[in-house]
Amino acid sequence: MNNVNLFPLYLSFRVAFTATIISFLFGLPIAYFLSRGHGKAVDFVDTLTNLPVVLPPTVLGYYLLVLLGRQSPIGAFLENNFNTRIVFTPTGAIIAATVVAIPYLIKASKTAFLEINQDYLNAARLLGRGELNIFFTVVMPIAWRGIVAGLTMSFARALGDFGTTLMVSGSIPNKTMTMPIAIYDALQAGNKEMANLLVLIMTSIAIIVLFTINQLERKMKKG
Amino acid sequence: MLEVSLKKTLGKFTLQSSFTADKGVLGILGASGCGKSMTLKCISGLQTPDEGSIRLNGALLFSSESKVNIPSRERNIGYVFQNYALFPHLTVRQNIAYGMKHFEKSQRAQKVTHMIEKMQLKGLEHHYPSQLSGGQQQRTALARTLITEPDLLFLDEPFSALDSHIKYLLEKELMKIIKENFNGIVLLVTHNIEEAYRICDQIMIMDQGLNLQLGPKEDIINKPINLTTARITGCKNILDVSILEEHKDYLLLKSNALIFKAANNQIPLSDSMLAGIRAHHLRLYSEKSHKDNVFDCEIMEKIEGVFSTTIIVNCGGNVLQLEIAKASCPHISESNTNKIKLHIPMKHVFLMENDL
Repeated sequence: MNNVNLFPLYLSFRVAFTATIISFLFGLPIAYFLSRGHGKAVDFVDTLTNLPVVLPPTVLGYYLLVLLGRQSPIGAFLENNFNTRIVFTPTGAIIAATVVAIPYLIKASKTAFLEINQDYLNAARLLGRGELNIFFTVVMPIAWRGIVAGLTMSFARALGDFGTTLMVSGSIPNKTMTMPIAIYDALQAGNKEMANLLVLIMTSIAIIVLFTINQLERKMKKG
Repeated sequence: MLEVSLKKTLGKFTLQSSFTADKGVLGILGASGCGKSMTLKCISGLQTPDEGSIRLNGALLFSSESKVNIPSRERNIGYVFQNYALFPHLTVRQNIAYGMKHFEKSQRAQKVTHMIEKMQLKGLEHHYPSQLSGGQQQRTALARTLITEPDLLFLDEPFSALDSHIKYLLEKELMKIIKENFNGIVLLVTHNIEEAYRICDQIMIMDQGLNLQLGPKEDIINKPINLTTARITGCKNILDVSILEEHKDYLLLKSNALIFKAANNQIPLSDSMLAGIRAHHLRLYSEKSHKDNVFDCEIMEKIEGVFSTTIIVNCGGNVLQLEIAKASCPHISESNTNKIKLHIPMKHVFLMENDL
């Protein structure tokens, strides 16, 4: 086991967890907004949030580099004022993973919100509750399984991202090398032991994720 | 007292309704899509009318003119939804307690327990809605609403989600509970005239977003003002008539070759009037009781129901449908004759406008 370096495992989990939490915080309000609204503005946001699923990872990475790179206004601002860089850092990996993962959370949560019978909300309104109160006492308790399914899917997607992460944060060993990149790297270097281990871990996680989602969806149908 | 006057356009559909309702049960009757539920949604604030005003016991709930629009949560309106809309993640007890925010905490538990007993839900407190029967769900929904002591109670097709064999039983039970526990204005939406007649004091007929007629239920049945109202209330026989003679207590009417008398109800007459008579008001001739308005008819079709027989006859070029209780004349279903004598009771003929 001398050739096995577990840093990519640790980094990948850190990145995926953080990306999932950020996806939840930003994705949930967006999903709620999309489920409630109609019209062109809503359709536009809907399309925009789905774009990362369809765009090639390298294209997505390119956009992020343009947006957050050292030459860009945001990148320059962060570097000049806070002495932080995004490109070629774990932060960059987190941002890349978030962008890749957030569509799955938004889509699943939006569906869960849309499936709630409007009469539940109307009944709650007529029973004297305000909108925010209704969100926490009715909407979330009914939609949580769909949201958890979305979280699981986002986590899996964040954990497995290769292309976008590579474009934004590179593959610096012990700094920005996540698991999928490490697998590629190990294979290139002929380190089969490492590649096998990481592949095994990734596969197990994928199976657990799919199993969890299946369970949740079955219970959701039962109500 | 509820005073409503509103206008709301949704796509091609326009709802335009104005009426007042007092204590008692007002039934809103109409086909699906006529704007019944929309009317309730506008009054309860779930939909905002484009124009108009809504006033409940003197207090203004909505007015487009003075820009008043009290939110639903402050209107104090009880609403029992078509499928009850019980919160699936809460137990019976939690559902009932959901609307009690404005009561003092110390009172809540006691009030809920009391309501559970009154609604015969004891033993089911910790069940979830999916574990309840239709009737139990209905009582839970009613309990959840009544515990908030609403000023106005809406029942939106409350029996349409139930099996037909228990519908009647639950209808009686529900109305008894409401009469005992609620002393205010009830608005009931339904598309079933029988249900409306059994339950309501007043009936309002709606069609294509307009309210056509509002009055005591007997008036609605006996004196529909136009063709649409007659059809919605289930009148089967409608004749194109011309008025031959006008007398103080009766009118002489002619439709094709049929000349018959109708009671003069002193309604304004015009050239294009229609006469209606309900299928169960037409009688078979018997020597003892009927002298006037008796006609020879030819039977076109006999349809046997469980308790009554429907007979379609040709009467002087008019196709009429009559419904006769089987018990009252068993011979009619057995005999092979295709001739009968038909009696049209004068007082049950009503004249109306042709609005279509």
